[in-house]
Amino acid sequence: MHESARSLKVAAWLGWQIESNWTEPFLFLTYSILKPVASALILVFMYLVISQGNFNNPLFAYIYVGNAFFIYVGAVLLGVSNTIVDDREHYGMLKYIYVSPIQVYFYLLGRGMAKTMTATIAVVITLAFGAIALGVRPDFFTIDWPLLIITLTVGLAGLGFMGILLAGILLITARHNDIVGEAVAGALYLLCGAVFPISVMPDWLQWAGRAIPITYWLEGLRRALLGTELVQKLHTGLEDFSTPTILLILLGSTLLAILLSIGFYRWCERRAKEKGLIDMQTMY
Amino acid sequence: MSHSWAIETENLVRIYKVKHKRGDAESAPFKALDGVNSQVGTGELFGLLGPNGAGKTTLIKILTTLLLPTSGTARVDGVDVAANPQEVRRRINMVSGGDTCGYGLLTVEENLWMFTQFYGLDNKTARERIGKMLEIVGLQDKAKSKSYQLSTGQKQKMNFARGFLNDPKILFLDEPTLGLDVQTSRVLRKFVKQWVRERPGRTLLLTTHYMAEADELCDRVAIINQGKILACDTPANLKKRLQGASVFKLHVTPLEQTELFSDLPGVSNFSGHRRNGHTELNFILDDENTLVKILSAVQQSGAHLISLDKHEPTLEDVFIDLVGKSLSEIEEQTGSVS
Amino acid sequence: MILFLRTVLGRAYPRLIGIQREKSWLIFGVFLPLLGVSAYVFIYKALKSPPEFVGFVILGGAMTAYWLNVLWSMATQFYWEKETGNLQLYLMAPTSRMAILMGMAFGGLVSTSIRAAAILIVGSLIFSVHFTVVSWWQLILVFLFTMVALYGLGMLFSSLFLLFGREAWHLSSLLQEPIYFLSGFYFPIKSLGYWVSIGASIVPITLGLDAMRQLVMPSAKWGFLSVDEELGILLVMSIVFVFVAHRALLYMENLARREGRLTIRGQ
Repeated sequence: MHESARSLKVAAWLGWQIESNWTEPFLFLTYSILKPVASALILVFMYLVISQGNFNNPLFAYIYVGNAFFIYVGAVLLGVSNTIVDDREHYGMLKYIYVSPIQVYFYLLGRGMAKTMTATIAVVITLAFGAIALGVRPDFFTIDWPLLIITLTVGLAGLGFMGILLAGILLITARHNDIVGEAVAGALYLLCGAVFPISVMPDWLQWAGRAIPITYWLEGLRRALLGTELVQKLHTGLEDFSTPTILLILLGSTLLAILLSIGFYRWCERRAKEKGLIDMQTMY
Repeated sequence: MSHSWAIETENLVRIYKVKHKRGDAESAPFKALDGVNSQVGTGELFGLLGPNGAGKTTLIKILTTLLLPTSGTARVDGVDVAANPQEVRRRINMVSGGDTCGYGLLTVEENLWMFTQFYGLDNKTARERIGKMLEIVGLQDKAKSKSYQLSTGQKQKMNFARGFLNDPKILFLDEPTLGLDVQTSRVLRKFVKQWVRERPGRTLLLTTHYMAEADELCDRVAIINQGKILACDTPANLKKRLQGASVFKLHVTPLEQTELFSDLPGVSNFSGHRRNGHTELNFILDDENTLVKILSAVQQSGAHLISLDKHEPTLEDVFIDLVGKSLSEIEEQTGSVS
Repeated sequence: MILFLRTVLGRAYPRLIGIQREKSWLIFGVFLPLLGVSAYVFIYKALKSPPEFVGFVILGGAMTAYWLNVLWSMATQFYWEKETGNLQLYLMAPTSRMAILMGMAFGGLVSTSIRAAAILIVGSLIFSVHFTVVSWWQLILVFLFTMVALYGLGMLFSSLFLLFGREAWHLSSLLQEPIYFLSGFYFPIKSLGYWVSIGASIVPITLGLDAMRQLVMPSAKWGFLSVDEELGILLVMSIVFVFVAHRALLYMENLARREGRLTIRGQ
């Protein structure tokens, strides 16, 4: 346990150094604001050209909130998994990390924590932009805080472990890191209904969406912020699930993600050691 | 009882599958280690000597838990490296000599501090050790520099310092002085020797292809070639193999054919290769009188003698005696894959 | 000239061979991005918008492939090359830097075009989008000028990024979503208003995409400028960007050499 805590702490410190050290704080902030706000603005203008400026439709808030929290998905998944490629190919340190007595899972999660912190800034800014400029203003007193906190925490942990699954894949494959992360996040953006109710998709895609924990995570967060009743009225494809059921599914799938990721990562680690891939360099 | 050995391997085999180009599904296996049996005692400074591609780095990778053996077993401090890697990691550290890696945006001190934390050192001990190691490698004035600002040699030194931070029970140094200047290499060699001597119970396994380094540093040396350990003993005992033999080195004007020398009666072992525009001939002779025949053969081949040197047997000569080729000759022929 | 062509082919080779040897890019580079683009289609479906908007997304989604390729395989490539130690080898070679960059561009263009074509064809089949081409030759010219201007811009970026370390990566990342937004990859640029659209037109894809949408979906009345005007501007941009990139590469290389930034690694 001691080793685990240590690994987590030092990795989070290292991750934060890497995240924050690359440039001036001013640029860092610009970067944390511009990217997420631009993504949100794409949706805003898509909505604008169709709705002629009517932001009061609850569907807009539903889309906007989902998009804001989806920032975590890319950040945590990639923050955790790209550590492998970064440490192996960019810094050449993965073999030394592996020779030291750390717990690799916790090391990876720690590196992801730094990304989670920067992502939190982006999520807060996006939500604040929505509240100030677009009127997506959840009533502070009607927000279901316990639901928000529980859903957020469980979901982030689940994302971290899903990141470990992806890290396992990267441990045994060559460097396509930019493209892999981009592609997986893009696919999840669709399947989890990050920016639309999954009910608009064909049945088979809806089922795929229902099989992914992130779908329930986003639904839980939307219900916590916008109110269960309002969200259920939108016929999102998950309206038949009660909020406790959503939470239960989220918890169950997170536990499953933990077990799966540990097993799968172990398998990948073994493959990597069998094939001598821990200090591999992708040369093209 | 295996626990008395710091490092122990039994019939260790490692086969790499080398994939061929497209369409050719067949993969040719390459045996990097071919049944290696070795034992290194606690407190020993043990050297693995061999040309590039001999299997040294593969062996180190297996012992440091980075690679699994294809078959056989390896134990470090009595712990099986394949079955219980985490337990092994608590007892070891490793430095690859040519490495210039590191988190460029961290300072030298921060890079090292991070690793002390992986080994659970408290901050006071960590700072002390970092300070001491930086002094030894001559990087004190660079402690606060970002590591991307370091020269190649300085990065290597930082990496060397990292290896000692946790005061490991067993340390693996893979070609630690590769590419370093003569002065720095000397300082590091001195430190390595001192480190093992002053710390009872510490074991060091060093790989090198510098004969003099192995001779100077190691209590015992294993000579390895093509994945097999050919001999293992103290440098003095290894050299004793050649007791009674005469060892000569000749430099002659370039010679195309050198095979004729190995057939001369009285030549126990011979190696010859081109170096710096002339041909170097190394002879191990059962009888010193054979030299006359050799000189006459040189003359007949049309070459001219540039220099002739008789010397005490070195590990290089032991290597020639065991392999039939000099180390540099093998490296010239095979390139450098480890 | 022969050296120039040899260099282009030489640098394109590893990229082309990479595509062939690592088949997994088909999943990560073609199939999964198609899913990402579909997300934007479903937003319009959720909003019950007219069918031409789905066409906008499919065409825009196909063009994102080129923008990503310019950002990640050109602009930041010298940074990666610097990190792996290849950059010094390229710069030492007695050949044109433009040729090296064009080699990268050409190599990348093949896989990118496959990705773009897949999004366009599969996307329009799945979502039943019907494109009616008004003028093939105009469409081809718009696409060609857009590509030349776009890759010229990419070369300009890569010369700037020659000086940078890790910032290059972050700047490329920073240029991703904001340009998706400003160039109207998923909605008609006209909705941003005249002046914002003019400003956004500095990225060649903005006008290129707008012109292409007008040329394949004539019924949608969302064009920003007329196709002829956009074609003219794109032609000027192609010449200017390539010329400026050429000068900038020479200038920046000298600057980087003077300041010793060509071989800094591990930042």
